Amino acid sequence: MKSESTGSELLQRLLHGEAAAADVVALVSRAETDPGFARVIAGELAFSSMLGEAVRSGAPVVDAGAHFESNLRSAALPMDDLLARVREGSATGYECDQVVKHLWDSPAAAAQLRRDLAMEEFFHEALLDSKSESAFVRSLETRMWAETRRDHFVDDFAKRLERELTSAVEEVEDGKVVPFAGGWGYTFVKMGAVAAVLALGSFFGVQTMLDHKTAKPTLASVVKTSAGVTWSGEAVPGEDGSIRSGLYRLATGVVSMRMSTGSELTVEGPAIFEVGDDASTFVHEGIALARLSSTDPGISLRSKGLSVAEPARLIGIDARSEGATEAIVFNGDGGICLTEGGKCRELSEFEAVKADHLRERLVDVPYNPKAFANAWALLSGVENNLGSVRIEMPGAAISSGQGLEGEVQVYVENESFRPASDLEVDQVVAGEFSVAEANPGQQLQAKGELRSYLLQLWPTEAGEGDEVETSLTFDHPVVGVIFSSDRLVSSDSSVGSTISDASPGFNSNRGMDSGNDEILLSQDRRTLNLRFKGGGAQAGQVRVLVALN
Amino acid sequence: MKPGDRELFIEQVREHHAGLRGFVRSLGVDPLWVDDVAQEAFIVAYNRLDEFDHSRDFGAWLRGIARNLVINERRKEARRKRIISDNLTEVLIASSSASDEEDDEMGDFALVRLNALKECVKGLPEKSLRLLKSRYEDDNSAQDIAEEFSMNPPAVRKALERLRTALRECMEEKMQMVTAT
Repeated sequence: MKSESTGSELLQRLLHGEAAAADVVALVSRAETDPGFARVIAGELAFSSMLGEAVRSGAPVVDAGAHFESNLRSAALPMDDLLARVREGSATGYECDQVVKHLWDSPAAAAQLRRDLAMEEFFHEALLDSKSESAFVRSLETRMWAETRRDHFVDDFAKRLERELTSAVEEVEDGKVVPFAGGWGYTFVKMGAVAAVLALGSFFGVQTMLDHKTAKPTLASVVKTSAGVTWSGEAVPGEDGSIRSGLYRLATGVVSMRMSTGSELTVEGPAIFEVGDDASTFVHEGIALARLSSTDPGISLRSKGLSVAEPARLIGIDARSEGATEAIVFNGDGGICLTEGGKCRELSEFEAVKADHLRERLVDVPYNPKAFANAWALLSGVENNLGSVRIEMPGAAISSGQGLEGEVQVYVENESFRPASDLEVDQVVAGEFSVAEANPGQQLQAKGELRSYLLQLWPTEAGEGDEVETSLTFDHPVVGVIFSSDRLVSSDSSVGSTISDASPGFNSNRGMDSGNDEILLSQDRRTLNLRFKGGGAQAGQVRVLVALN
Repeated sequence: MKPGDRELFIEQVREHHAGLRGFVRSLGVDPLWVDDVAQEAFIVAYNRLDEFDHSRDFGAWLRGIARNLVINERRKEARRKRIISDNLTEVLIASSSASDEEDDEMGDFALVRLNALKECVKGLPEKSLRLLKSRYEDDNSAQDIAEEFSMNPPAVRKALERLRTALRECMEEKMQMVTAT
């Protein structure tokens, strides 16, 4: 049988940092009844504190004395105050134990506390945007996506919401009362607002009306925009696309900028971002995607509550929520820090973290790149001119079982790499349409930095379908095209492809080399046109290598 | 999973999220982790939909899953726990396990109650609303609020208590009206 600890033993445990909550409770009760012993404790703790200060320099010390004094103060608090602290979520372990002692004797009090805690949660849900139904469902959707990737939960949810929004509008039009909880109504209003802004005109139309009067140096240039870009606020890019320091409000659309440091920043509206005199960028609101140039020593990127301490090669910021900002690493390794408090988190590829503004905490969240789809479509470096094309997000598994009839999937299989040796590519003559078939090939010399895309083309109908025609324009010159099956297989490892397909026989005829298909690379080597019939029901693949410098 | 189960599930998320979060909090889960635990309960439920007995109350089933998740929290190492105190959670779980049913903010009509509460909050005088927002929106402690409003902490606690009582009464009145209609 375990004997009760003596006061001296309890004190030793406290001094050595080994005291459990129960030990502290016991020590407090002894100190209350024995003033002499209380003085001994106080003296020992004061001495410990001095020792701590003497051996440590600079860093704050956990003050056992203060901790003990705090417990003594808590012991004197009335039960109502202790219960209030539990409801607030600010109760210490010692205070919780005091409450527990009270609750064991009174089941009714325990039931009441449970109701009060639930009510506290209700107040938060009623008053906090970050606790709204829409925020909860959005977050649940993210987790569902991450944990049940191949399930249809997210799609079902989106369709369901669309239906409910439509029915809500119909009911309003009929003059009925719509008990519509949460933020979906707001989303709908916002969608209406976006549509209204879209009607104002295109990016260039708006910017020619506005005079950029400042003589500040150019820190970045707009290099690409989506359709329907509109700016609001005073600062807008110059007519030549120049960006100077200032606060920019992108109302709609997606804009890609090249910073003076060589890095690229893509922002999706509605967004507010600030460019500092030193070319640093602060994303106040919206979606931003930053790609670090290999020659850039480091982009200075911050957002509400967090800063990018170590920029990854490709990193995204989602600052749409008032309560939290998310950072997500798509390529390379990065470090994210809280703006206040200096807490940091190292992130590897396909990891994400959320900075909770209210609690000043960094919380790991599942990788869900969906929010960045529009920004990624612009930043991926490939533009669709013709056909049904889907730009896949980084991290999407490349598999032969995912495409739709007549669709072309585009994967950026390697953002940037330097081949270790020459690569064998297929012969393609720029400016001439030719049949994609067996050919002697040619060597692509191992020099410079490349990016590798994998196109996956799905036939319309097996055996008798029409051809799939697509036209893609790349923002860097195409230096190599691989469409034959054997060269695709042999180049997989050289380009660092993560192709995951292992279906029987797939590798032997995965290329676009059945003799039925045609390919044309434009004279300027930027645009690739493909006519694909395929030789069966399965997809045909084409690898495209572009030179980054 | 049978056809239509996912539809049922989506319906249930919207129906039960408010009550489930209240229930999770009532078991002593750290306010910061309430949504996390509630979402985990939904995910477990989704993955086990095949096991759900359709003759049972879905809300009670969800609460059972959440209760088990919270019980498991006590076995985790300290830094990974999502509850504020093992002992407190133990006594609160003991209090909750008496019945499958939960009333008020934790039960099956929680969403209606939450919407009623939101209506009541809208009707508050400006100063009361500021006080309430300082506590629940900005997450300030009574001490912080006291400084902000030039009051003393006990007066803040009392004012908040009065507000909570008034809002609860308002919510109950609205609920009675809903029931009557």
